[in-house]
Amino acid sequence: MWHRRAVEQRSGFTETAGGEQSGRTPRLTGGGRDVQRGSAEVICLKERNFAMLKTDLIFRNPLRLLGHESEDIVAEGEFGAVLAGAGVGKTAFVVQLALDSALRNRHVLHVSMNEPITKVSVWYKEVFSLLAQQYKIDQMNALWDSMLPYRFIMTFKVEGFSVPKLQERLTDLMAQQIFDPQMIIIDGMPFSESVRASLSDLKAFIRNNSMSAWFSVRTHRHEPAGPEGLPFCLSPVADMFDVIIRLQPEGEDVHIDVLKGKRPSGQAGLLRLDPSTMLIKTSY
Amino acid sequence: MKDSVEKLRNIGISAHIDAGKTTLTERILYYTRRIHAIHDVKGKDGVGATMDFMELEKERGITITSAATYCEWNDHEINIIDTPGHVDFTIEVERSLRVLDGAILVLCAVGGVQSQSITVDRQMARYHVPCIAFINKCDRNGANPFRVIEQLKNRLDHNAVAMQIPIGLEANFEGVIDLVSMKAIYFDGFAGENVIVREIPENMMPMALQYREELIDAASMFSDELLEAAIEGDIPSSLLISSIRKAVLSRRLTPVLMGSAYKNKGVQPLLDAVTWFLPSPADVSSQALDLDEEGKQVALSPAAQARLVSFAFKLEDGPFGQLTYLRVYQGKISKGDMISNIRTGKKVKIGRLVRMHADQMEDIDAIFPGYIGALFGIDCASGDTFVSPGCNLTMTSMYVPNPVISLAIIPRDNNAQIHLTKALNRFTKEDPTFKAHVNENTGETIISGMGELHLEVYVERMRREYGAQVSTGMPKVAYRETASKRVEFNYTHKKQTGGAGQFARIAGFMEPVAGEDFVFENQITGGAIPTQYIPSCEKGFKKCLTKSPRTKYPITGIKITINDGQSHAVDSSDMAFQAAARGAFVEAYAKAKPILMEPIMKVVVETPNQFQGAVMGSLNQRRGIIFGTQEEGPTCVVEAQVPLAEMFGYSTVLRSSTQGQAQFTMEFLAYRQVPERIEEELVKRSSGEKRDVA
Repeated sequence: MWHRRAVEQRSGFTETAGGEQSGRTPRLTGGGRDVQRGSAEVICLKERNFAMLKTDLIFRNPLRLLGHESEDIVAEGEFGAVLAGAGVGKTAFVVQLALDSALRNRHVLHVSMNEPITKVSVWYKEVFSLLAQQYKIDQMNALWDSMLPYRFIMTFKVEGFSVPKLQERLTDLMAQQIFDPQMIIIDGMPFSESVRASLSDLKAFIRNNSMSAWFSVRTHRHEPAGPEGLPFCLSPVADMFDVIIRLQPEGEDVHIDVLKGKRPSGQAGLLRLDPSTMLIKTSY
Repeated sequence: MKDSVEKLRNIGISAHIDAGKTTLTERILYYTRRIHAIHDVKGKDGVGATMDFMELEKERGITITSAATYCEWNDHEINIIDTPGHVDFTIEVERSLRVLDGAILVLCAVGGVQSQSITVDRQMARYHVPCIAFINKCDRNGANPFRVIEQLKNRLDHNAVAMQIPIGLEANFEGVIDLVSMKAIYFDGFAGENVIVREIPENMMPMALQYREELIDAASMFSDELLEAAIEGDIPSSLLISSIRKAVLSRRLTPVLMGSAYKNKGVQPLLDAVTWFLPSPADVSSQALDLDEEGKQVALSPAAQARLVSFAFKLEDGPFGQLTYLRVYQGKISKGDMISNIRTGKKVKIGRLVRMHADQMEDIDAIFPGYIGALFGIDCASGDTFVSPGCNLTMTSMYVPNPVISLAIIPRDNNAQIHLTKALNRFTKEDPTFKAHVNENTGETIISGMGELHLEVYVERMRREYGAQVSTGMPKVAYRETASKRVEFNYTHKKQTGGAGQFARIAGFMEPVAGEDFVFENQITGGAIPTQYIPSCEKGFKKCLTKSPRTKYPITGIKITINDGQSHAVDSSDMAFQAAARGAFVEAYAKAKPILMEPIMKVVVETPNQFQGAVMGSLNQRRGIIFGTQEEGPTCVVEAQVPLAEMFGYSTVLRSSTQGQAQFTMEFLAYRQVPERIEEELVKRSSGEKRDVA
């Protein structure tokens, strides 16, 4: 482990040993500040290259433009929402958020409604290979393998899903030290006034456990927009969300508008989804 | 056997473990009057199902080998192959699908699309086998065929459409409504042999109309004629059937039928559907490779007068010698014909031809195109092509996965050793996924296969069928080694100790390569190594791959490039270059940072929700990466990737931690690097073994 620690100190990562993907990698806080410092300062070049590759991929991610360079778009204990109509690219967007997080060795729990695990996995694999193609990554398989222990998929039937049930499952995972997520993505949860109570329970839960959560919210074209352009279904609980992003199809492009939260400034801040690959890109 | 193939169906019955494949086959044989009494898979009468004729199959209630039979229905001949559900016997499914034209995918109305259904579906896709689905066990508590149809769409990406809807479910399951004829079908009599057709109950009419509309919508996507008829509001049944058939043949639609084989309901309409929708050999385009024209693809036609092309897909050793199962794709085989084996070039004369019905056989005079039969007295391997003499066409072989688990077997005495040799000869010939070899260091006989159950069954068969009393060692994982970095070598082999000397020098580099076991590249220019010695170099390197100097495991994923060398007019020889290659390999491999790889299995556990935590804990303890959990009502599916080395004895652990209510399947996924800590242990153990032998 000593040589790996040396890498961690340089890159801020907790690197898993090649192939040692136990899913029990130690959790990092504060960019690796609590990582034990080893006495030896030997650098393993192979692992450093690998770490550099990851750093490069993270740095070049246009998502950085929505938040600070080294932080998440939503902070610990906060909620974020991605709004869009059917087929516009909500899942592709949240998967990119999750991949970005997993590449930074942060554990992501992806909760999906009605979709089987295989289908969710295919989303990740597809988006990841498109990213790898875009950035011409030659060690794609190794990078994918190193990312896998940081992702956990949980799928529910919509009618069988409830926040207490999710909390119960999560507590079980954490108690057995199987998976300790730092980010939760909830894709496909139906929103209404009735979810307010359970959402506030969930918010308290994620705050206590130093997590953040992203929700994908489906909007309908025929529904009139509420205040601040928010969809009707989200309006009653909009105050609980710290960041709200809308994916807006305009012409052949899908624009990424920040309705709530830190807005990107200047030309550099204009982001869009490439409709052919569903990857996030800058507009310029 | 007829010489026309339009009314012939070659079908397989495939599904997850315990979905009811064998029970369904038993009913099919009964209703088509091939058998006169129904026996259950694990029935109290102890007879067992017809297709599970092996004693072990009857005892365990599982299918181990695929069995072929045939029957007639509505003037159609149907050849059926019943296949095992356990993934350990996947080669049986693989070779059956290779020669079948269509399949029935059996699904459980309660369990739905389970892990093995996904594997079977993938195998069907590999060989482009069109299928219809049969949702079995509609009489069971928790049965919901509509949920299964949704799963077919979501999980398997099938364009699934209901051909029937159930009349009642669970204990009230009475029959089905046929959405083509719009009639209610009930099954009466001692074993459901009387099919009673009535009008649709009034209360079910709206539901029937809604599902019929869905069926017409789906089918009209593939037929303009049907679309026009639908607009006019008059759809003849024959048009609907032909449109569905067209879509099924191109694998764009999966018609779903339902029933309960055990309760004798819904089987006869399924047989109708087999004759309506599944292809005859004439509907399937089979291809062979023409060896005279550099492997150009040639389409085969199922005509009796054409040159013979047939494929041996299964071997069985019986009391009368080797029985070879053949599918004739083109031409016909008759008694007394001379045929030639493309692989060996040997010509053989056909002595006896038979048609199989489970373990019984019927002598026949000829096998016509499109038919499956068997012949005696021919020595060949699984996957060989037999053709008319002078014809140089070959069929592509089937996919054979590599074994992932090994076990040492020790015969009790000399007598057992003799029996063991006979048994191993037969089993390795019959099953390409079962391998046997003798460990040079320990002298032990090692058998390798696809899983614990696979090996367990063969050991039991050695005892029962050959009386070979053997004891078994601990199962061993098939680890592999590979190099992880590029290194150069320059090695000179020189020997001058009396007699003819030996001299050879080889230089080049070694590097890791993905997706290949071994690649050899010759970049020698200017004759630094004479051309006749290049194969010697390759041979020398290849020999080194069988056993790593470090751990004694085989080496894979290596590319060797030679770019320089030197020879001597007198002292260089084939032997000298082989020795130089070995020396170069040993020198370079030590520097190439070898890493150990282990087989990783995809494990899917289905468990009641209350045991989800316990199941995940048990997988986590086994170095598993849990990918996710999928909740479906009262049950939950946990998917994980776990090293095979950690999975020994898992079934016992799972049974005790879930009160016997969970079941799991596993299949080989990939080779991945062994964690450093474990690699160190393995290297230490391997050097320990070496010392013991010394």
